[in-house]
Amino acid sequence: MGIEFRNVTKTFGGAHVVDDLSLEVRDGELIVLLGPSGCGKTTTLRMLAGLESVTSGDIFIDGERINDVPTQHRDLAMVFQSYALYPHMTIAENIGYPLRVRKLDKAERATRVQRVAEMLEIESLLERKPRQLSGGERQRVALARAIVREPRAYLMDEPLSNLDARLRVQMRGELKRLQHQLGTTTIYVTHDQAEAMTLASRVAVMKKGRLQQFDTPLNIYNAPANRFVAEFVGSPSMNFIPSERGTMGIRPEHIQVLTTPQDGALEARVYVTELMGNETFVFLTVGDNRMIARAPAEFRAEVETKVWLKLATEKIHWFDPATGNRLQDLQD
Amino acid sequence: MECGGLAPLWPSMKTSSQKEYQSGARPPHSKEVLTPIVRYLALVAALLFALAPVYWMLTISFKTEGEHFANPPLWFAFTPTLEHYYDAFITRAFGQYLLTSAIVAVTSTALALVIGTLAAYALARFELPFKLNRRLSLWILSTRMFPAIVTAVPLFLMMRDVQLLNTRAALIIVYTAFNLPFVVWMMRGFFADLPRDLEEAALVDGDSRLGALVRVVLPLVTPGLAATAVFCLIVSWNEFLFALVLTQTDAAMTLPVGIAGRVTQYEIKWGVMSAAASVAIVPILVFALALQKYLVRGLSMGAVKG
Repeated sequence: MGIEFRNVTKTFGGAHVVDDLSLEVRDGELIVLLGPSGCGKTTTLRMLAGLESVTSGDIFIDGERINDVPTQHRDLAMVFQSYALYPHMTIAENIGYPLRVRKLDKAERATRVQRVAEMLEIESLLERKPRQLSGGERQRVALARAIVREPRAYLMDEPLSNLDARLRVQMRGELKRLQHQLGTTTIYVTHDQAEAMTLASRVAVMKKGRLQQFDTPLNIYNAPANRFVAEFVGSPSMNFIPSERGTMGIRPEHIQVLTTPQDGALEARVYVTELMGNETFVFLTVGDNRMIARAPAEFRAEVETKVWLKLATEKIHWFDPATGNRLQDLQD
Repeated sequence: MECGGLAPLWPSMKTSSQKEYQSGARPPHSKEVLTPIVRYLALVAALLFALAPVYWMLTISFKTEGEHFANPPLWFAFTPTLEHYYDAFITRAFGQYLLTSAIVAVTSTALALVIGTLAAYALARFELPFKLNRRLSLWILSTRMFPAIVTAVPLFLMMRDVQLLNTRAALIIVYTAFNLPFVVWMMRGFFADLPRDLEEAALVDGDSRLGALVRVVLPLVTPGLAATAVFCLIVSWNEFLFALVLTQTDAAMTLPVGIAGRVTQYEIKWGVMSAAASVAIVPILVFALALQKYLVRGLSMGAVKG
């Protein structure tokens, strides 16, 4: 189902938490709202769910303006960061709750709960209570409760942030697979750029309530609209070097570190190196500037040794030093 | 969830003395043996102090009139008789009073719980303009800040005007009103402690506000609800002043007023009064015991992370 935010603003006591947001989500897309904490991404999601009122502007689902439609009639499903499982109900009752509210008969409810439980491999947990489950299991139950019916869209508020790193990567993949299977429009909120890049069909990067860029992960990575987006997406962050043409930006993976001088290579000193196992992060000083480069795992260099940097010139980005905006005419 | 506010009403049995008692795996030091003994002696003394009047009342209800005034008092050796119980509940109208007390207490408690819980939920969850959440709450509390007797005469006049004197309805209305502030404040605290996520999840899942309240919120505050119910019931059951002012007929009189009525100009019917009072204790005792597991049990919020 298509979802549209049109000039949506939300103020809390005079502060603009979401500022003039316009966003169009196509049917079946998985959109990630990405940004640091306090950027308004969760508030945006909660306005769509009807848990937060809209100060001005309109929200449409399938062309229907839903600003004044109460939450329970919006036909959306949401996965909360805390999972919000009902502690007094068994897992089966938790998953079946949206069906019970819709007055489906018991047999039908049981079949559908069973089907979803099998899909998420939690059939063995159905008779337990939420407090007897691990974090990963609770996460699956929360997901099961969302997909047990066919809502118009799924809303996910940092659903993986309470899991440990290994489980997060695993669930991330499963979420993507699930969304592909179901094909339901999904709005996903996270502050984790890796989640955004891997999951999204398109990413909306937000900062202080304002939309910075709304594009495919690849375009966000390759052509960040401004310095904030460039810095927020990618790990380690993009390097920025002031120059007379503007602020030059280059990602650590586009810098080659050489131990012998070469034509056109930039001279630098090793500040420190960090071996990550599969690669090495090389922290460098170039004149007065600090930079990071990604080198192969075998790369070794002592602190303060002289090295030469070869920049992939076609991967250099230029930003206006004053506004931070991308300087389109300077690219290439 | 915190049930700390209930502690004075329901002293938990796990006192520090018990903890110390359990830790006695090592060969006990003389001081470690003595401390629990002293504590238990203090407990026994406190219990004797609290229970002696109850015991005395029970014995009087089973003694003949002559034995009531025996000197020295008969603590244990007397011939039990049921004559006072017969007198109170068969000859006199105490059965009627008991029924009235039960109807009034249960109905007013139920009403106060329903109205008060809804009000408390609204005050805890909806954001009202002009800081009304706080102001309304304080105003509701302020209705309990003056002595009850101040309202006795106005209430009598009002009930007379609407012709509700000597009816159970009058007592139900007054007790409900009297218990409401307490219910609102207790339940508001319990609701405020609950994470909003759960209700929001219920709403997104398609439930109405009321449905979420009944199916998700209330089951989670059952201990609080139980404690509040016990308190309201005890207050209504024992209430004397308004019952005395508003009811004078056997048909509308409650047990406390009926019992006090046996103190007359010419005689004090100790036996009948004790028999009736002994019976009056039973329902509250049973109710409190039945709800004890809710009162003691802390509810774990396993669903929300932590």
